[in-house]
Amino acid sequence: MSVPNPDAAISLVDVHKRFGDVRAVDGVTLDVAEGEFLTLLGPSGCGKTTTMRMIAGFEEPDAGRILLRGHDVVGVPPNRREVNMCFQHYALFPHMNVEDNVAYGLKLRKVPKEERRRRVAEMLEVVRLEGFEKRRPGQLSGGQQQRVALARALVNRPAALLLDEPLGALDVKLRKQMQLELKRIQHELRTTFVYVTHDQEEALSMSDRIAVMNRGVIEQLGTPREVYERPATPFVADFVGVLNAIEFRADEVRAGEAVMRLGDGDRIVAPAPDGRIGGAAIVTVRPERIRVHTPDEPVVGDSRVSGTVGQVVYLGTLTQFHVELAGGRRLIAHRLSDERAASILEGDRVVLSWDRDDAAIVRD
Amino acid sequence: MTTTARVELSAPPVAPRARRRRGLLGLLAAPTGFLALFFLVPVLMVAAYSVGLLTLLPHDLYLSLQPWRDFFASETHVGLFWKSVRLSVVVSAVSVLLAYPIAYALALVAGRRKYTLLLVILAPFLTSYLLRVLAWRVILGDEGLIITLLRDVGVLGPEGQISWLFYSPFAVYVVLAYVWVPFVALPIFVTLDGMDRDLLEASHDLGATRWTTFLRVTLPLSVPGVVAAFVFVFIPTIGEYVTPLLVGGPNGFFFGNAIQGAILQGFDWQFGAAMAMFLVGTVTVLLVLFGRYLNVRAVAE
Amino acid sequence: MSPAISPGGRRALWVGFWVFVVFLYAPIVVLIVFSFNDRSTVSFPWEGFTLRWYRAFVENPTLLGALRTSAYVALLTGLATTLLAIPAAILLVRRRFAGKGLVTGLLLAPLVIPLIVFGVALLILFKNLEASTGGLVTVSRYTVVVGHTVVALPFAILTIVPRLERIPPSYEEAARDLGADAFTSFRTVTFPLIAPAVVAAFLISVVISFDEIVIASFVAGEDTTFPLYLFSQLRLPQSLPQVIAVAVVVMGVSGAIVVASEVGIRIADRRLEAELGVAAGEVATLTGGTKGAA
Repeated sequence: MSVPNPDAAISLVDVHKRFGDVRAVDGVTLDVAEGEFLTLLGPSGCGKTTTMRMIAGFEEPDAGRILLRGHDVVGVPPNRREVNMCFQHYALFPHMNVEDNVAYGLKLRKVPKEERRRRVAEMLEVVRLEGFEKRRPGQLSGGQQQRVALARALVNRPAALLLDEPLGALDVKLRKQMQLELKRIQHELRTTFVYVTHDQEEALSMSDRIAVMNRGVIEQLGTPREVYERPATPFVADFVGVLNAIEFRADEVRAGEAVMRLGDGDRIVAPAPDGRIGGAAIVTVRPERIRVHTPDEPVVGDSRVSGTVGQVVYLGTLTQFHVELAGGRRLIAHRLSDERAASILEGDRVVLSWDRDDAAIVRD
Repeated sequence: MTTTARVELSAPPVAPRARRRRGLLGLLAAPTGFLALFFLVPVLMVAAYSVGLLTLLPHDLYLSLQPWRDFFASETHVGLFWKSVRLSVVVSAVSVLLAYPIAYALALVAGRRKYTLLLVILAPFLTSYLLRVLAWRVILGDEGLIITLLRDVGVLGPEGQISWLFYSPFAVYVVLAYVWVPFVALPIFVTLDGMDRDLLEASHDLGATRWTTFLRVTLPLSVPGVVAAFVFVFIPTIGEYVTPLLVGGPNGFFFGNAIQGAILQGFDWQFGAAMAMFLVGTVTVLLVLFGRYLNVRAVAE
Repeated sequence: MSPAISPGGRRALWVGFWVFVVFLYAPIVVLIVFSFNDRSTVSFPWEGFTLRWYRAFVENPTLLGALRTSAYVALLTGLATTLLAIPAAILLVRRRFAGKGLVTGLLLAPLVIPLIVFGVALLILFKNLEASTGGLVTVSRYTVVVGHTVVALPFAILTIVPRLERIPPSYEEAARDLGADAFTSFRTVTFPLIAPAVVAAFLISVVISFDEIVIASFVAGEDTTFPLYLFSQLRLPQSLPQVIAVAVVVMGVSGAIVVASEVGIRIADRRLEAELGVAAGEVATLTGGTKGAA
């Protein structure tokens, strides 16, 4: 069993939780560093919320250890854990005004009135809600309620802030805005954030690290770039939105790479650091890494495949090409929407190419 | 950060499951304990008492089915039971018939005013039961409004009476129906109000007349409300003895009066206990038969 | 055109409705009117307006004593019922545990027992206790309180439950998360939010108790509650006029209490909706959503 890092803000060691016959969390081990923004990403039912609720103390693990700043907190009720939570629908107390909501935790902690007032004011400034002290939650917009919820949790200076899909109830535009706000606040206060979401875009844009969860286990833990560009499993690849996944069998394995030959000089080259490719595997490559060449253009890159343009989708800055390959395979490539891109039409023959290190082999 | 100390200094954490169980017990103890002690135990004691597992009065029989045998052998008492059943059935049925169109009007026709109007209907039910009975004494009584009015008009002579009007089973029926009818409207209203209105539209669109729609759609869907209303009037009226005492006269003597008499006047407690348990049995049968229709909450709200 | 009713039917239905309302209220109006009739029997003809029946009841010590007893019993019943109904409602709405079906059944069972049976049962219980404690426990106004509390409890519980159901459990969790222990979270968050329903439950219990005669007639012992007094007077025609005068007052007060609490709780509900504000539509998802293993 792994030893938890004593410097971590939060450590989970082989945590299990079942509800009836369902293994909601099935052996999660995770260290969250001080000041880190860590996201638990996964579809509903993957165990991310249960994991968070176990950190907060609303659920107790059946097995495993949970440490907050090195102290085992299993069995400690939520009110005696030094983490605070932002609830999905904010859960602002409707019978209290903004000030009383934010001061709630401080009052319970018997913080003297003057200090309380000062800290509440400070925190309302951080979330940019000065002047809203006397409003009731019902008189605030969704975004404002969200800020109050943040202030109410952060004013207690928790060891970590837990956020349960905090932006789920907001519309798209506000959500983008609040993503930036959250990032700014986290930066300003250097508080550890544990963020739960099913929105991969949100996860990628905000997190220092992402733990992609599926069926109660962490399938991959890494930086957004790692998760996005080097998905560890087909599930991760699919969930973070990898569009191109090609079944791969190695025809040749040589120093650090594997090659699949497709005839006509077409080939796919992927890195294989351990030099072994066994069993079924897929190769992923992100659409924006694929170059689209007209047959007359010179082709550069380790992998090259030719095909016919099926569908052309204009996405604004980028144009998306769906390219049919031999054998019923299909790849999606993005290219800047320039003049040349505009000249490629449905039915045209094209050649796709990419560099070896832009591809990744994912094994089941 | 100062908050770290909280965890260290706190008492050793209670195992979560034990903590949760303690919380549960804290909530459970008072209300269930109270009802167990003052509701369940007494009712079980009646059962025990009726067969002499328990004795109280000097002449009580020890371990004997005699009270039950006496009851089943007494044509008078079994007869009173059926008389009460008839009373309850008729009162429940009449109340349902009267209340149904009212509930229908409120739920499906009244629109936004429906809750206000519902309160108008329910308010009398919520005021004193005895006083409503009293009002009917004033109306139906020997020197009451109807009689004195009829005498003044000359339909009756100066000392004229209508024997069936007061101190009669008729008076008991009228008063009980009056007392319970607002209550009956409530469960029917709740089911009709909760009905998917699109069903009516759909039926109408399919060419059904309103009458057919009512018979084929609305009425069947409101059956649970009707049954609930029926049961919730039947249960309190089957043991009624106060209203019969006040307006029933010599012929207005029902099963409840027999029980009350056995206990409070005859001091034949075991016999009374047997009859009371017989009522419990009746109600239980009723609940087993119709229990699935009863949405208690709808009634209480 | 409404598929529920034809225009003619609508008219007929409303005529029926108001006839029904008249039927419901006429006897009550009769009582009120005749409480002012200057005649020693309650009957026609009208012999002029008088307040003497009201004066008579205000000067009747037995009657006032009975009213006082009933008020005392009703207040105690209201308190006891409310104190028991709050944990019971929390239990039913917030907790899942083995045997919950049975507990629910027990808590609501008093709704489906004929009162006369329960009256007999309580009498036998208290007579047994009296015998076994050597007269320490005896039937009195306090045993009436016990009986009335049992009878009123389901109504009180069912008044609080719907309100509690509308309060998302995440409020309590938020309070706990911010450092409140279970009781503090109840005191500072849950209770203020369910307070209107608690008040309504209290008032409903008071009104039920004040009006209850069956249980009282079995276990009141030497004490006389107002309904018991009323009942004893109803058979004497000469005391009827002043009894009717009290009746009118009592009916007015208890009617006002009940209507006020009904209206009050409806207003409070609407206010809660408003306070939940933007998230109002999501309360349902919230209530159900936090339980899953998302």
